[in-house]
Amino acid sequence: MSSDFYKTSILPFAGIIIKLCRAYTNSQEDFEDYYQEVCLQIWRSKENFREESQWSTWVYRISLNVCLTLLKKKKNNVQHFASDSITAEETEDNFAFSDESLNLLYDAIRKLSEIDRAIIMLYLEEKSQKEIAEIIGTNPNNIGVRVKRIKMRLKKILDGKIY
Amino acid sequence: MEKSIENIWKEGFLKSDALVAPKINNLYSQKSIHIIDKFKRMFRINLIAIVVFSFAFLVVSYFIGIPITGIIFFVMLWVLVYFNKKLLNDLEQIDLGDSSYQYLKAFNQWKNKQISINKKFSRFLYPMIFISMLLGFWFKDAEGMPLGERLVDKILIGFPDIYLVNGIPLIGVVIVLLILVLLAYFGGRIYKWDLNIVYGRIFRKLDELMTDIESLRR
Repeated sequence: MSSDFYKTSILPFAGIIIKLCRAYTNSQEDFEDYYQEVCLQIWRSKENFREESQWSTWVYRISLNVCLTLLKKKKNNVQHFASDSITAEETEDNFAFSDESLNLLYDAIRKLSEIDRAIIMLYLEEKSQKEIAEIIGTNPNNIGVRVKRIKMRLKKILDGKIY
Repeated sequence: MEKSIENIWKEGFLKSDALVAPKINNLYSQKSIHIIDKFKRMFRINLIAIVVFSFAFLVVSYFIGIPITGIIFFVMLWVLVYFNKKLLNDLEQIDLGDSSYQYLKAFNQWKNKQISINKKFSRFLYPMIFISMLLGFWFKDAEGMPLGERLVDKILIGFPDIYLVNGIPLIGVVIVLLILVLLAYFGGRIYKWDLNIVYGRIFRKLDELMTDIESLRR
């Protein structure tokens, strides 16, 4: 991957890639693997980009696909967790942010299903419903409702009502 | 007042230093080592399978009355295993080096050497396998006499004027020689085809990785 391509086509979106990868991993080592694999796949698939959507949409879609694929592979190999969620015990010696509220929010997000994690993060990154739908490949009409439900679920998790 | 999740997210990342992107280089090292390790495992299993088969076939050949085939097969396969075990030992000596690129290049050199040796050997191995089968069945006991001689007797009844060389019909000798020449000629290709079936996927992955790393270095 040329450093130019990385600087111009990936680095501007590194923030969301990092945030996405963190939501699907539970260790620094996994996170680094996911991040690098995402960058590698974006670089490899640049020839397939037909400019039918924005480059950012393309980047998010690839990021999400790579994260979900790696997560599936991991589940098929050594099963660390029985469900989609990662428990608090499993994340206790993870990478932790300096902000405690953000840590709690991330833990709550990791308790959501794989697709819900993607939707809420894209929402938090202020992506439009249309763009979120395009990235995850669904109908934009459902996104608003889904976001509301996910937010309610997150709130319940944060309030300690759901574990 | 309780903060909304939107605010927690925004403010959290404003304060946090969590958005530092990892360096992109370790992935290649991990991938190269992983793929080459997988190849080594497959190569080792392949050699063990050949050893097991050589013993099994030796026993089976004795019981079905073609021990000559079993013995030649056994010797040939052990020569094959001996050379490839030496090659595997050479592969184990490959240093991980300073970079995954050097490691992959060293592996590629080893792979080419291994293919070249086995291709040459295959030109000799396949004809030998054919000869061993032929001899095995020729000398197989058929009611007190070798099967080959019984076959020649039957041919002579049908074609009494057939030309013989040392008691073997000339046409048969010509056909056998032709098959041997073809096997010697195509032996290398048969080996490559066989190699592609077993290791093709791994080699393709390695080639992709090499291409990736080479374009990274440009």
